Amino acid sequence: MSNATVSRLLERRSPFFSGYEWVTLALVLATFAVPFLTVNPQIMSQTNLILIAATAALGVYIMLRMDLMSFAVPSFMAIGGYTVAILSIRLGITDVFVLAAAAFIVPALLAIPLGWLILRLKGVYFVLVTFVLTEIVQLLLFEAAPLTGGANGLVGMPAVKIFGFELWDNSHVLLTTAGLAFTGFLITAIFTRRYRYEFAAIEKNDVLAESLGLACWKYKALAFAVAAGVSGLAGFALVNMLMTAHPTSFAPMSSVNYITYTIVGGKASILGTLVGAILLVSATDYFALSGELSPGLYGLLIIVVTLVAKGGVIGMLTKTVQRLRGRNGGGLTNPKPALAEGKS
Amino acid sequence: MEGFIATGLIGISLGSQYTLLALGFTLIFGILGVVNFAHGGFYVMGGYVAYYCSAVLGLPYVVALLIALAATFVLGWLFEVLILERVIDDHQATLMVTMGFYLVLATGILVIFGAESPEFSFPISGVWRVGDVYFPYANMVVLGACLAAIVFVFWLVYRTNVGRSLRAMAEDRTVASALGMPTKILFPFAFALATGLAGLTGALVTPILALAPHVGDPVLAFSFLTVILGGLGSVTGATIAAFIVGLIEAYAAVYLGGSKGALTLFVLVLVILVIRPQGLMGKEVRRA
Repeated sequence: MSNATVSRLLERRSPFFSGYEWVTLALVLATFAVPFLTVNPQIMSQTNLILIAATAALGVYIMLRMDLMSFAVPSFMAIGGYTVAILSIRLGITDVFVLAAAAFIVPALLAIPLGWLILRLKGVYFVLVTFVLTEIVQLLLFEAAPLTGGANGLVGMPAVKIFGFELWDNSHVLLTTAGLAFTGFLITAIFTRRYRYEFAAIEKNDVLAESLGLACWKYKALAFAVAAGVSGLAGFALVNMLMTAHPTSFAPMSSVNYITYTIVGGKASILGTLVGAILLVSATDYFALSGELSPGLYGLLIIVVTLVAKGGVIGMLTKTVQRLRGRNGGGLTNPKPALAEGKS
Repeated sequence: MEGFIATGLIGISLGSQYTLLALGFTLIFGILGVVNFAHGGFYVMGGYVAYYCSAVLGLPYVVALLIALAATFVLGWLFEVLILERVIDDHQATLMVTMGFYLVLATGILVIFGAESPEFSFPISGVWRVGDVYFPYANMVVLGACLAAIVFVFWLVYRTNVGRSLRAMAEDRTVASALGMPTKILFPFAFALATGLAGLTGALVTPILALAPHVGDPVLAFSFLTVILGGLGSVTGATIAAFIVGLIEAYAAVYLGGSKGALTLFVLVLVILVIRPQGLMGKEVRRA
């Protein structure tokens, strides 16, 4: 048996994009149609919120590939969002491509030295430090008033432009968000699938992976930077929707929401993150007679999912479909059960 | 100079409060291997129970303190037995359920008591004065109570058979239970002890600081800071770190102003992590 046989076997069992990625990308792509199908501001703002939430939660999803629970999403959203606000208000840059690139690259670059500091920490320490990080960023936003506007935030952002055309009304904002979300999802899908074996090895046992010659730090640092960049895109979308950059948009406890979307939807696949965001953001809206109750609802859901449905919504659906079709069903149920589901 | 001493006293009383919180947090981690995200929730709950008993029911403050301690102890016990024990071997799952429980607890308090902070003040007023050094009696009582609780925890952990069993279980759960340690009782006990401490701290401190449904968030962040600084799972480390945190916070608030105290602390913790990732007194990172 040559080594080519093994890798070819893996290739055959696991195509580059699994069904989950295709369905997810198609769903995100479909939101471009929303502004053309409806003028209902309620539906548009709802879609907007879902897309932003899902894109932000991708930061959690990426780090979970390596079994690292990250609370750092709001920090990098803030960095991305404020970068955009500062560029557009202070420097008058409104080209959507330039801003999106900045919203991705600035957080990603900042994540590299930060990652050097905190990626040496494992398990619990990593969780605690990412949590502390969101607190630091929150304080810095208030303290660095000359740059960030302090407690007032940065208000009066000009509308972004695409090829010189101003994107100013509701539907344009939704299109911008959809574009950013699609970019975020595409980057995440390609990145997590490109290195799926490396991530799976690190997730299972990083000490073993390292001793077998895998440069774990490289993949961890890369993932941290990409997660930061994708969070930055979500920050851009959020700031663009609110037309303000304000510290409260990036509150430390909001990191819990993004973790909830990923876990409740199902952390094993990218589709879980999207479905989690769709279900929970809609539920928040549905129960939003008093918005203050939604944390309690999230809390209950987290506990229930953790105790009785570890794979989340998608995990449960996958299991049900598999059971109905028998063991060798095709389509969504096929992609390499051992690797894709991890240790559930 | 007087200001310097007075600030030091405030720092020490802050340190004693953080110690109580951090002790509970670090006990739970050391013994159960669980990061308790609900810790701030028990602190808030302790505050509200004490408020309800003393301000609404009119019970004496000392009784209210004991009821707050008992209530958070019992709830902690129930949470451990009914929910946490089912997922105790999966560190990510324990994190999720404690986080979920915190959200439920905080929302529950919000629903029952409303979002506004209730009128809850310490029963003793007045200020102790020596020369130009001022120190409110309320802070002194809190300091005394906290110190007593700290001494109690140290006595329990290092001088009693219960403490020895707890430390044995922290060392190696499987071996300890194989040797006949009653884990079914000791695990919930350790958890309930820690949540009781958080509840007691809340009942003692919220009348001086503030009581509102969301005051648990910063408490959680400061507990994290303290235990990272001291080394997760280390009782002595947590105590030393808590006093360092308290003193830095007090002096930075006076001499630097604003939220710079918190920023100084965060930077300090980051530096510590670079030099000693296991914290001041921590041992090898628990394989979680």
